[in-house]
Amino acid sequence: METPYDIGNIPGPKMARVVTPEEFVKQFKKAKKPLLIVGSEISQEELRKRVEKLIDLGITTVATGGSIRYFVEDGYDEKVEVAVLHELTNMLLDENWKGFDGEGNYDFVIFLGITYYLASQMLSALKNFAPHIKTASIERYYHPNADISFKNQFKDEKFFQMVDEIIDKIGEE
Amino acid sequence: MKTKFNIEKFESQGISLKNLEIFIGEVIEEEDWEPMGPYPFPSATDLRDWDFKILKRYKPFYAPYDDTCSLCTLGKCDLTGNKKGACGIDLKATQGRIVLLACVVGTSAHVAHARHLYHDIVKRYGKDLPIDLGSEIEVEAPLTRLITGIRPKTVGDFEPVLEYIEEQLVQMADALHTGQEGSYLDFESKALHVGMLDSLGKEVADILQIVAFNFPKGDSDVHLVEMGIGTMSPERPTILVIGHNVPPALDIADYLIENGLEDKVDIAGICCTSLDITRYYPNAKIVAALSHQIKAIRSGLADVIVVDEQCIRADILEQARRVRAPLIATMDKALHGLKDRTNDDVDKIVEDLVSGKVDGVAILDSEKIGEVAVKVALKVHESRKDVKSLPSDEELKELVNKCIHCNRCTLACPQNLKISEANRIAKTGDLSKLRELYESCISCLRCEQVCPVNIPINDVIMKAAMPLIRNEKGKVRAGRGPIKDTEIRNVGAPIVLGTIPGIIAAIGCDNNPRGAKDVWLLVKEFLDRRFIVTVSGCAAINLGLYKDEDGETLYEKYPGEFDAGGLVNVGSCVANAHIHGAAIKVASIFARRKLRGNYDEIADYILNRVGACGVAWGAYSQKAASIATGFNRLGVPAVVGPHGVKYRRAYLGRRDREEDWTLYNARDGSEVRVEPAPEHLLVAAETIEEAIPLVAKLCMRPNDTPQGRQIKLTHYLDLSMKYLKKYPEDWYLFVRNEADLPLARKEELLKRLEDDYGWKIDWKTKRILEGPIRKVDPSFDPTNLERLIRK
Repeated sequence: METPYDIGNIPGPKMARVVTPEEFVKQFKKAKKPLLIVGSEISQEELRKRVEKLIDLGITTVATGGSIRYFVEDGYDEKVEVAVLHELTNMLLDENWKGFDGEGNYDFVIFLGITYYLASQMLSALKNFAPHIKTASIERYYHPNADISFKNQFKDEKFFQMVDEIIDKIGEE
Repeated sequence: MKTKFNIEKFESQGISLKNLEIFIGEVIEEEDWEPMGPYPFPSATDLRDWDFKILKRYKPFYAPYDDTCSLCTLGKCDLTGNKKGACGIDLKATQGRIVLLACVVGTSAHVAHARHLYHDIVKRYGKDLPIDLGSEIEVEAPLTRLITGIRPKTVGDFEPVLEYIEEQLVQMADALHTGQEGSYLDFESKALHVGMLDSLGKEVADILQIVAFNFPKGDSDVHLVEMGIGTMSPERPTILVIGHNVPPALDIADYLIENGLEDKVDIAGICCTSLDITRYYPNAKIVAALSHQIKAIRSGLADVIVVDEQCIRADILEQARRVRAPLIATMDKALHGLKDRTNDDVDKIVEDLVSGKVDGVAILDSEKIGEVAVKVALKVHESRKDVKSLPSDEELKELVNKCIHCNRCTLACPQNLKISEANRIAKTGDLSKLRELYESCISCLRCEQVCPVNIPINDVIMKAAMPLIRNEKGKVRAGRGPIKDTEIRNVGAPIVLGTIPGIIAAIGCDNNPRGAKDVWLLVKEFLDRRFIVTVSGCAAINLGLYKDEDGETLYEKYPGEFDAGGLVNVGSCVANAHIHGAAIKVASIFARRKLRGNYDEIADYILNRVGACGVAWGAYSQKAASIATGFNRLGVPAVVGPHGVKYRRAYLGRRDREEDWTLYNARDGSEVRVEPAPEHLLVAAETIEEAIPLVAKLCMRPNDTPQGRQIKLTHYLDLSMKYLKKYPEDWYLFVRNEADLPLARKEELLKRLEDDYGWKIDWKTKRILEGPIRKVDPSFDPTNLERLIRK
């Protein structure tokens, strides 16, 4: 079993299944309406450029934690939604929420580039009170509160390699 | 036992009684200062309707930290997915229960502190010591008046107030027991009740110490105090006081004064005791906030450490022993395993501490503490000069070279600091990354325990940051205590009309994700925009660490008045009550609303009219939970930093749910759909850049005049552009007519309203024809309370 990135963060019997990029993409492709949520850690340019590739692949993306400013600088602001993560998670809990497009809630929510402990708690809320949503962490951290999660990755190269693999596999479609 | 009966109306055989009150057990003198409102000494159920009103709009949002419950022997129960445990409680209610528990614990800390002060002060000065806060403060205890209906004239008048809080607190603690409360909403109502008690207990505590110890009584030009670890002198004996209950520190100061030793021995403080001792003894220094406790101790500069209560490291004795500093525990609730030497001869205690025969002692008589602490400091100072607290340059190199980059430190770090990476760079001789960690590291020491090669990581970071630490010298304006009635008269109207755009209360601990500078940035931003900024506790301390381009701290740059652009340090955590008090006084002094036993009306007034917002960016302890919950019940929203989600519960509104945003017009009882203002009561932000516009938004209120709304909207838009580089998605919701729009951007915004939101604009007159949620109605008297409807 993988160690939670914050080692004491062992929530209970239900903890995320560790997945490879390939397994993540399989789950992603099963989703009817996925949502990618990114946070403040996309200030790191190498990560942000990869997020922008995912946006270019048509994945609905929402910038939280003030990260919108980086997308504005990169000319991507019209392609992303903006929210406070706490508010957004609250909306996601409501099965009848209309979503950013007015067409309804999402069924597969992906976390990337969000402060670890904040993301962990929001994933906990979704795990426990949003049975209509599956969650995935493609962070460099193992997130026990997600349904599926990458392992901890302390080296950028390996982590970016995994994200690149996701981009490539989704792009193959 | 005291019992009260109320008979509103009784008629029988020619006897007619109306509004009869019968008290058994005690005669409470009824004064005429104001008619009694409906809820003096309210029980939890008295204000349950108010709680449920706010909980309907601001629904509790739960983020469990643990999916199980292990409070009874039927457990451990797996509650994942909101399952029920063996006792029948589900995960949601369990979260409410934990929130209530946190609030009970936090409130107990403040109230026990108040009770201890009460006993101490009554013993020193008697019950008849007058509550006199000076000629400019007539409403001396707004929370006490509001909640209990008592207008305290002497210290003894607080006795029934404390009795009331203590009884309620026990009742609420009882609700936590297995087999009691089962509804999450009722747990929340009880948490709100306890939060209110917390605010009341804090008021009692701070007023007691103000009148007994002659602390400043609302003076805006209080003295400045030296602060920072860099102000600790290796040349002079230093007594480090840590905690929240000031009497032991006062007695140390008195001993120094009485014996002419002010220039020979320093008092330096951490946390609220440092704020309170400097309200009494300006020579004392504020060393640091809570997060620097270990740093201050491991600097080795403290010759004696005196702890009182709250926010003390549980391993304080071990840490003190490490730097050979004798420890004196002074409160029964934090004895740290030390022998009680209260009744021993002073010289014998001193001898034992100086010789090292004992590492520390407990002394529960504050007058004796003063003498012991000073004598020990004077005697051990020379012998402690060989204490080597931090590694040498050579040792630092060896230590960073030992690092095997296993990353266990990062997995253990609550801030997830990348220590291994900093060590890797330090191996090349570049200490810059280690130095950068200094500000974010809260010295919790979790990393040191897991390091397989035993690197004292905190000390390595401190050593690398020595150039910063030596220069860590700033100024803090001493806590001024209450807000004067005269100040409220000046600012009441501009606050309610919205032309002073808001009162920001930056309070609480400093478990900040990116160091204390986040709070400094937020406070400076709102001061520059002419908000009123009030601060207290560790947030107030940390502001003194930073200087602007002119080399001034915010305390030197901005006036201490409760006015637009004023920076008001009220004092320690218990002095927070004066921030509640200011909001209450706006309702009372400016709007002439009756206070006495009238909590829900005043909270309703504040929620709809007083644009105040708390910021607890580094909230850490249970006290922070009870403080925020107390603000929330009074109608004041709060923003917490990302660690704040670990409190498990937020109160979040939904701007997309129209049905949640309806108020009564008290003039005629009509229902009016309003804009989502304030949108949340408790919400977390991930970064300070996200928090700043959010705080500005949460200062909007339904009662804002067009001029006020225009100013508030200008700040919301400006701050969003400045920190997020984009207009917020929801700005249009706050526009009621064209007069609400910022003048400089009026045309651009009208165009956006037309293009992006489909509003109809008359471009000839530049007026909005269709679109807003509602129009501005100057006669609108917003309320949530049916009882306030006049016809």
